[in-house]
Amino acid sequence: MRSATATTRPWHSAAWLAWALAGAATVQLAPSPVYVALMVGIAWLVVEVHAPEGPYRRAFPVLLLLGVAFTVFRIVISGLTAHTGADVLMTLPEATVPRLLGGFTLGGTVEAGVVLQALSQGFALIGMLAVFGAFNAIVSHYELVQSSPRAFHELGVITTVALAFVPSTVESISAVREADRARTGGRSVRRGRILRSMVPVLERGLERAVALSESMDARGFGYQASTRGDLAAGWCGLGALLALAGAFVALVGRARPAAIGLGAIGVGFLVAAVALASGRARDRRRYRHRRMAPADWVMVATAIATPLIVGLCGVSGEGSLVWHTNPLHWPTFSPLVALALVPLLFPLTRTPRPPTAASRAGLEWPEPELLPEPVAGG
Amino acid sequence: MSAIAYSAVSFGYPDGPLALDAVDLDVHAGEILLVVGSSGSGKSTLLRAANGLVPHSTGGRFSGDVVAFGRSTRTHKPRELADVVGFVHQDPEAQFVVDRVEADVAFVLENLGLPDEAMRRRVEEVLDALGIAHLRDRNPVTLSGGERQRAAIAGALAAAPGALVLDEPTSQLDPQGAEDVFAAVGRLNADLGTTVLLAEHRLERAAPLADRAVRLDGGRVTVPPAAPGVVMADYPGAPSVTRLGRLLGWDPPPLTVRAARGLAVAMTERPEPSASLNSSVAPAPGDVLLRAEGVGVALDRRPVLHDVDVEIRRGEVVALLGRNGAGKSTLLRILGGLLAPDAGRVDPCPTTAYVPQDPNAMLFAATVRAEVTETLRLLGRPNDAAVDRWLDALGLHDLADRHPRSLSGGQRQRVAIAAVAVGGADVLLLDEPTRGMDADSRHALERAIAHHAREGGAVVLATHDVELAARCATHALVLGDGETVASGSARDVLAGSLFAPQVVRVLPPFLTVEELAGAMERT
Repeated sequence: MRSATATTRPWHSAAWLAWALAGAATVQLAPSPVYVALMVGIAWLVVEVHAPEGPYRRAFPVLLLLGVAFTVFRIVISGLTAHTGADVLMTLPEATVPRLLGGFTLGGTVEAGVVLQALSQGFALIGMLAVFGAFNAIVSHYELVQSSPRAFHELGVITTVALAFVPSTVESISAVREADRARTGGRSVRRGRILRSMVPVLERGLERAVALSESMDARGFGYQASTRGDLAAGWCGLGALLALAGAFVALVGRARPAAIGLGAIGVGFLVAAVALASGRARDRRRYRHRRMAPADWVMVATAIATPLIVGLCGVSGEGSLVWHTNPLHWPTFSPLVALALVPLLFPLTRTPRPPTAASRAGLEWPEPELLPEPVAGG
Repeated sequence: MSAIAYSAVSFGYPDGPLALDAVDLDVHAGEILLVVGSSGSGKSTLLRAANGLVPHSTGGRFSGDVVAFGRSTRTHKPRELADVVGFVHQDPEAQFVVDRVEADVAFVLENLGLPDEAMRRRVEEVLDALGIAHLRDRNPVTLSGGERQRAAIAGALAAAPGALVLDEPTSQLDPQGAEDVFAAVGRLNADLGTTVLLAEHRLERAAPLADRAVRLDGGRVTVPPAAPGVVMADYPGAPSVTRLGRLLGWDPPPLTVRAARGLAVAMTERPEPSASLNSSVAPAPGDVLLRAEGVGVALDRRPVLHDVDVEIRRGEVVALLGRNGAGKSTLLRILGGLLAPDAGRVDPCPTTAYVPQDPNAMLFAATVRAEVTETLRLLGRPNDAAVDRWLDALGLHDLADRHPRSLSGGQRQRVAIAAVAVGGADVLLLDEPTRGMDADSRHALERAIAHHAREGGAVVLATHDVELAARCATHALVLGDGETVASGSARDVLAGSLFAPQVVRVLPPFLTVEELAGAMERT
């Protein structure tokens, strides 16, 4: 374990949310591999500087690898099944699937255009995962919950607690696998291994969940009974979250109609939730509630600028945003679009530092020159 | 005045026998009341009933009444008692909600809806009371066990409850962490008058702290609340120094080494140690089973072990001692072939078996017997004799048809040891085997270790438990920051160290009560 010195988060979690949404919109507007590569670089830099040491930070490269693996899989599948006839790279033995299973041809000619198209779509996915992974690695999930209206609080706490179980489960899996090997003196026996490792992992998780729920109960969680309106708002909020997440997935999968539909449903739920929640005058007590500082609003504004400029470029007919592989050509590059990505680097103007009383309250940020050199990259 | 009053409380878990049977108990305001009893005696259930977790979160059949500061748990849920009873669980990992210590401490205050200024003041006070103000910005998962448990107590204490309920708070901690937790609990009780209801197995530190103790067996109060010395008088899990006092007829038996020393000075005749106790020569060593030379390893680019030599012969029981993070577990895993060293050489020994610290990592079968048999099945050699031998050796025969997950921590640990040892390995590597064990489980384990060594095997124990080491180790190896600090016969290493077992600090050269008893029989 590395030295665990604590640092504060220089930016408000809501500002990071705006940053992540802006980043995701940018990837959608400019999915050309050139710009996506730049986006991944930006996300990487931001994680290096801002993500606190921990499982979410370690999950960032894993997410990227997942994107790469998915891209490779997609290239192989499209290369084998989609056929245009132009720019043939190689010819493989082919087989036609029986009509009952779809009747398409496997193998045969593999075309450069098809492969590159799949590659370019894979890049967009990697870009989205990078933005999402960076957000997840940096943000304090509990701070996000604290900033949400009272009605969402309880569901939000439950969600963050559930999220915290993911990394602990991953660690538990490795412990269980080692225990399994230890049992046979270091020899690993494959037969029945899934059962031997799944049961302890699940049971440990369950036992921890029970202990945690007891601890939360003993500490007064749910003491102020929710009103009917709070509950309705909470469920609407959850519905909005799920629908928007579905829209996100649909966007990644390039299913525009589904994305638009789900997005509309999500926004509808969101409006209902906010309307229900704002009807409640009673506010929740929050310990040292961190409010958005002016600098946080600057970060939100700069972040939004990027997709706006890129969008304007798109409207004005900038051709380099999307890489069309038919006819074959290299992706083109426009310095203007690359410049438009620079505002997403704005969070780097501050680095995490040992906390002070003022920074804990989110009131001010110490001047950089008064402090020792930041340890970039932890 | 009573803080928490149990009257005629009976409780059975769903589909289970009675866990509490007509318990009457008065916890006085401002006292520290220690609950002792073997695993499964109902200690945890009793504690959970104090704030209504039993029966509100467990379900089951409940009768009688528990009244905490005038509020009955029949009419109040745990969350409605959060401001009068704080509860801390034995697993320090499973009770944090927020990823920052300070915000986690404030969690209960937010739930209760305190005004901002009151919240600020309470959090500061509680952080200071537990000595964790410097950890306020840390993520609880990065803290050591003792720090984590103190942070958990802070989280329970923030609402300024009149009573604090601690369910084996130090059973997962190393001695230093346990020391810190008890020091903090004692301070809270002395300074703030907080009533403490505490259950513990390891009583060396807890017993002197308590004002009164009560003993449970099978869900009943068998020894009503009295001074700890009185309750300990015939309790098998009493601290060694108390058992020493019992043997020598001191009444009441002492609870601390300090008190025992005072009594020992007044002794007119001391038992004569036999010659074998003074000689540091170990019994004739058998042939070498496992040898490691110059072992070094780094994990995450951090050196963990440096140039460590180990030699293990037949008939030896080696205790690996050292503080948390000294490299004990890592060395065990290297000896067990689960981790390859970066430097040095380990002579391959095909017959080692390693039992991890957490027995839950390997238990999955439906019954204890099936769990033990499974190992043989994996090794491809059905052998029922070995299964029964190990079930007997570890005192598990009566539990053979129980579900491993329904057992107590100490019983689970014994099942895990049986399941690994049944493979027939010569060298058993046990990582912290007595964590959370009650006296019965400890005795069964000690017998099994001695038996295995006598039969020509060898055992390596990584442990914080010097009393265990004193009772069964022949050799001891002390690690400090990955290097060998001391190595030799267990008697030499243990008797000469600052963390010597209790008995040798009172009546050297005897290491254990059993040795003294042996010497007294001869005279």
